[in-house]
Amino acid sequence: MSTSDIDAAVAAPARRRFAVPASLARYGAAFRTPRGMVATAVLLVLVALALLAPVIFAGGYDVQSSDSFAGPSGAHLFGTDELGRDLLVRSVYGLRTDLLLVLLAVPVSGIIGSLLGLSGAVWPRFGTLMQRFFDIIIGFPSFILALCVVVVLGANFTSTVVAITILGLPGFGRLARSGALEQQGREYVIAARTLGVSRRRILTRHIVPNTADPLIVHAAIFAVNAVFIESGLGLLGLGVQPPQPSLGSLLNNGMRHVREMGFYPIGPMLVLLLLALSLSMLSDSLNERVNRR
Amino acid sequence: MTAAPDTTVPTTPSTSGTPAGGEPTSTSSLLEVEDLQVSFPTPRGVVKAVNGVSFRLGEGRILGIVGESGSGKSVTARAVMRMLREPGRVDGGRVTLGGRDVLALPEKEMRGIRGEEVAMVFQDPQAALNPVMTVGDQISEALRVHGTPKQQARQRAVELLRQVGIPDVERTVDQYPHEFSGGMRQRVVIAIALANKPKLLIADEPTTALDVTIQAQILELLVDLRDELGVAIVMITHDMGVVAELCDDLVVMYGGRVVETGPVQQVFTEQRHPYTKALLRAVPRADEHGDRLTAIPGAPPNPADLPPGCSFAPRCPVAQDRCRESVPPLEELAPGQRAACFVSADGGELSGERTTTSRTRSARADTDTDTAPVLVVEDLRTNVSRKRSLLGKITPVYAVDGVSLEVRSGETLGLVGESGCGKSTLSRTIVGINEAAAGTITVDGSDVTAMGAEDRRHVAETIQYVFQDPFASLNPRRTIGQSIGEALEMARVSGAEARSRASELMDTVGLNDGHLGRYPHEFSGGQRQRVGIARALAKEPKLLICDEPVSALDVSIQAQIINLLEELREELDLGYLFIAHDLSVVRHLSDRVAVMYLGRIVETGPAAEVYGNPQHPYTVSLLSSTPEPTVDERTRERIVLTGDMPSPANPPSGCPFRTRCPIGPLFQKDREVCETERPALTLTPAGQSAACHFPGELAEGVSA
Repeated sequence: MSTSDIDAAVAAPARRRFAVPASLARYGAAFRTPRGMVATAVLLVLVALALLAPVIFAGGYDVQSSDSFAGPSGAHLFGTDELGRDLLVRSVYGLRTDLLLVLLAVPVSGIIGSLLGLSGAVWPRFGTLMQRFFDIIIGFPSFILALCVVVVLGANFTSTVVAITILGLPGFGRLARSGALEQQGREYVIAARTLGVSRRRILTRHIVPNTADPLIVHAAIFAVNAVFIESGLGLLGLGVQPPQPSLGSLLNNGMRHVREMGFYPIGPMLVLLLLALSLSMLSDSLNERVNRR
Repeated sequence: MTAAPDTTVPTTPSTSGTPAGGEPTSTSSLLEVEDLQVSFPTPRGVVKAVNGVSFRLGEGRILGIVGESGSGKSVTARAVMRMLREPGRVDGGRVTLGGRDVLALPEKEMRGIRGEEVAMVFQDPQAALNPVMTVGDQISEALRVHGTPKQQARQRAVELLRQVGIPDVERTVDQYPHEFSGGMRQRVVIAIALANKPKLLIADEPTTALDVTIQAQILELLVDLRDELGVAIVMITHDMGVVAELCDDLVVMYGGRVVETGPVQQVFTEQRHPYTKALLRAVPRADEHGDRLTAIPGAPPNPADLPPGCSFAPRCPVAQDRCRESVPPLEELAPGQRAACFVSADGGELSGERTTTSRTRSARADTDTDTAPVLVVEDLRTNVSRKRSLLGKITPVYAVDGVSLEVRSGETLGLVGESGCGKSTLSRTIVGINEAAAGTITVDGSDVTAMGAEDRRHVAETIQYVFQDPFASLNPRRTIGQSIGEALEMARVSGAEARSRASELMDTVGLNDGHLGRYPHEFSGGQRQRVGIARALAKEPKLLICDEPVSALDVSIQAQIINLLEELREELDLGYLFIAHDLSVVRHLSDRVAVMYLGRIVETGPAAEVYGNPQHPYTVSLLSSTPEPTVDERTRERIVLTGDMPSPANPPSGCPFRTRCPIGPLFQKDREVCETERPALTLTPAGQSAACHFPGELAEGVSA
């Protein structure tokens, strides 16, 4: 087996036109766009603040002073609330609550939703059933549904996590299913079938890795939603309960006392804005990088 | 780069083949391209896509621009229209169209030139038409932007559609593109291009997406339009057969440069550039069978990474040191014929010594009938419909409708047919991707029609599949080593043994160990197909189903893969079920041939008989429609079929081919038998079987 043409074919250099896509390298690229870099920087600062809150503000979020409803000053950058607590401290602790919520609800929702969606690739009937279940969830306006969950389970941190998890299921589930269905028609999946590769192997080895990208982008987008749902519930007083602060409940108090102290809601709002904006910018640049093959 | 604009266009009309009336009426050139330079700035550096291209085109002539992917042929054409894709830009040179310098015109005037002076026909008519506008409106729009009043525009649209051969124009003018077939859509695109009576038509691979019988219709139309309207055509193609059939002059491009140019007749008779010569020798031909193809080694150069000297030097059999150092100028080496080659300019021999010996493959079908066939398919039907009626009953659509065939080891059965004839469905049913509705599939002696788990394992061990598009059939996230490893795992080979088997397989298909760690996108098309073959061989099958394995590859690469398949067949005693729409490739590889039409085999038998003396009128027309890369064929009578293949959802009664058959009831009213009775596949005196009530009749009429 050594005719000259084949030898020469070997000698011809393989084209190296793109960077190696070995999965992580491509996600890394998302953080190197200008937008991605800004978003990452802001997010890192926020996360660091949240993590270090007990160190920076060693007294916790409940230190009261006689100086209630004080406007922003050198001592209290965001001012103080009705009990004279520093609003900057409370905002940072609120951020801590929100980040924890996102870190719990988004991955759990993503994993459960994706598994339910992918299940259709193995058990078609169950998959169809799941789609109808997702339809029901989507059938309700998402915020109303979140309210119902919280009302049934009681207003606290856990039910907020549960509500957000449920709301995320249809998005992840449908995305996973459509991705899996698309991949199933791909020639390399058919090639694996002609080799006799089992369904389970095909799913884990060929389908899942190739549907992961949109799911990861969606997770970043959903994180923004989670923050908004939390603050919405908090604003109505149905989220995380006092004395534990969350960005939403701070806004709720702020709106209630806006007559006494006009700057009350501004601080928490600013933090919320920074969080939502950085997450959304990150998801954008992820989307841009990852969905371009 | 010497541009000698006063030498190319021969003033004497080429002697044969050019139909009367098609002769250029004046010697002035309509289009002159001089030293055109086009580049694409990319983040990874500037890619010089076109590097000093010059050619001329006379009025009413057809110029073929031939090249492989990345040769710059399409970019050249787009630059003439000033329609380069972003971020392409013209760096230098002149394009003169009807005496005006196109590159210097302001964009506003250029818009006037597009459509009125020069128009373009694209490869994919589906993408070139707006799906929400009727074809009449789309043609009218082309007219109205150039100032024709509404009423007149509509009249002219009807007239144009009639001119390009659309039937029943009064009705079809108000139809939408999806109501037309592929060939008809391409006619509509041509009608739009012709709307403002341009002097020049640029056709970019206009028939590549079409079937051969439809391609023949479109090529015929283009020649007619040239003869009637005197429109000049620039035909961009990769197919030397199309050039031989259609064009007057030829420009061969390679690596962004013109390597050879001249009148078609002359270039086909004697090539002055080794690339042109090699290209013509690498194409299999329907009228010959035997010699191994002379493949061009390596792959076409990447435009982003061109070699310093002659782009072809790394693959050239006669390259010298100077070829690798400097770029040879395009010089006139024969009257009207120019080539850019140092060796040729010095009068040197262009073809290297032929490395392959001629061989005569005896028809295995005759000698080996005693061995049991690896694959036997009997009366197979495959339903591809999942549409249910109101009562939940499935209305079946049989893409494969009663097919029988068998393949032995070491033997190749070629399966030929146009798109939609069911050949891929058939092969997918054999490996269990589609479900058989009726009939039996027997693999290596055992009936696997039911496709239970045990059957599937048996099939996967005996039969493997080589896909058309090797890129699509490899998981982009897995290295070649992982992909081949998966196949080996299925063959229950693992660990160190798997590693040594993997490198052995790579060696078998002409790749090496180092390639195992790479991802599919790091390979060229030909290399990827080698990987696809290596993976198929991992389970040591007895039979390979090759589903159009070379049709996605560049011409110069096709020959490499075909040769590889031939070598493997001899070494491993493999049987092939070789599926292709390209009759020449099938002829080259096959011992026996089966021609499929609308889910049925209409003719089958030894390749020599089927090709030499076709009995079914469909086979005759297919052969007649296939463009041959030789100019001697120009005079031959061509049978151009009318219409398109009917839908398998609604097949005609009786003979499925009767709606297009040139000897059927369409032309001979007394042949009702074709409408009422389905002809069975029966042995003809010529030696092969054909499903026709009047076998051999058409063949006798046009015997070459």
